[in-house]
Amino acid sequence: MSGIQRLLLTGVALICLYIVIRLKKKLLDLVLLLALVAAAVVFILWPDITTRLAEKLGVGRGADLVFYVSILIFWFVVLKLYARIRQLEKSFTQIIREDALKKASGPSSIEPDSK
Amino acid sequence: MPEFNHTVAKRVVVIPAYNESSVLTSVANSLLEKGYSIIIVDDGSNPSLSSHIQNLPVYYLRHRANLGQGAALQTGFDFAKKLNPDLVISFDADGQHDVNCIPSLIEPLLNNEADVVLGSRFLSEEKINIPFTKKVLLQIARGVNYLFSGLLLSDAHNGLRAFNRAALDKIIITENRMAHASEIIFEIKKHGLRFKEMPVVIAYTDYSKKKGQSSWDSIKILFDLILHKLFK
Repeated sequence: MSGIQRLLLTGVALICLYIVIRLKKKLLDLVLLLALVAAAVVFILWPDITTRLAEKLGVGRGADLVFYVSILIFWFVVLKLYARIRQLEKSFTQIIREDALKKASGPSSIEPDSK
Repeated sequence: MPEFNHTVAKRVVVIPAYNESSVLTSVANSLLEKGYSIIIVDDGSNPSLSSHIQNLPVYYLRHRANLGQGAALQTGFDFAKKLNPDLVISFDADGQHDVNCIPSLIEPLLNNEADVVLGSRFLSEEKINIPFTKKVLLQIARGVNYLFSGLLLSDAHNGLRAFNRAALDKIIITENRMAHASEIIFEIKKHGLRFKEMPVVIAYTDYSKKKGQSSWDSIKILFDLILHKLFK
């Protein structure tokens, strides 16, 4: 096993450990993650597989194939994150709006405080 | 929730405000003089705007954090519904709108010819001095709004608008930041509301230019719009 393989495997193992701890309950996510981890380990240990796969798909080198697929996954993650942020923003807005409506002051009521 | 006595609140003006100066006070005063009820939504300004409107007979709401103009407008609309108004007008806090434009703006609502009236600076006969980049960006924004909504308007992102009660109840702004201006058009289309454009005059003062949007903001708006459509 070469140095880079050891390094990558350690990284994959650590990320896996971290996510498993966080996602103990979400079965689907866990299954997906384990599939990804398995694929990563296989490709790290037998990098030739990516090369053969790449040739079949019309990509020059295995490393390039991994690179392209990574970009796709990266885009997917970014979109998921954006959706999440918008969801958060929605709840945040709702809380702040309710608070503002509750504390509204009017011409006939007391002076607005400067909180 | 506090209860308000509001027998006169038939024409309500909503002013979203963020870090405004004493210009806000004069804007509020000019509206009060004409007998409008005013809702000022302080969008998390620091320091709070309450000092500028002290002793003024206005409704004052404050977001505890800055959310954006769209969010402030919607908060103002939600509050306006409690006042049971005949019509609601959105008005900018930076003094670029003219109170005297309101009577002609709301006329189509009073005549029941429209549910929403949008102010347009390009329909105005008076020659106004719109900065060149602003002009170009507004034309692009018009096109973008048309692409997204199918409605081609003469102006885009004009903060002076009037809504009747039906429109107020139907339109819901979810875009917290500046993309709300386009979202309102989507909402008009979605609910099949009748709309009309009326000429308004925009005063480009140094203050309002400073407070206004930069060219970079328009990229952010476009981005928000795409996300809006994507995650609908």
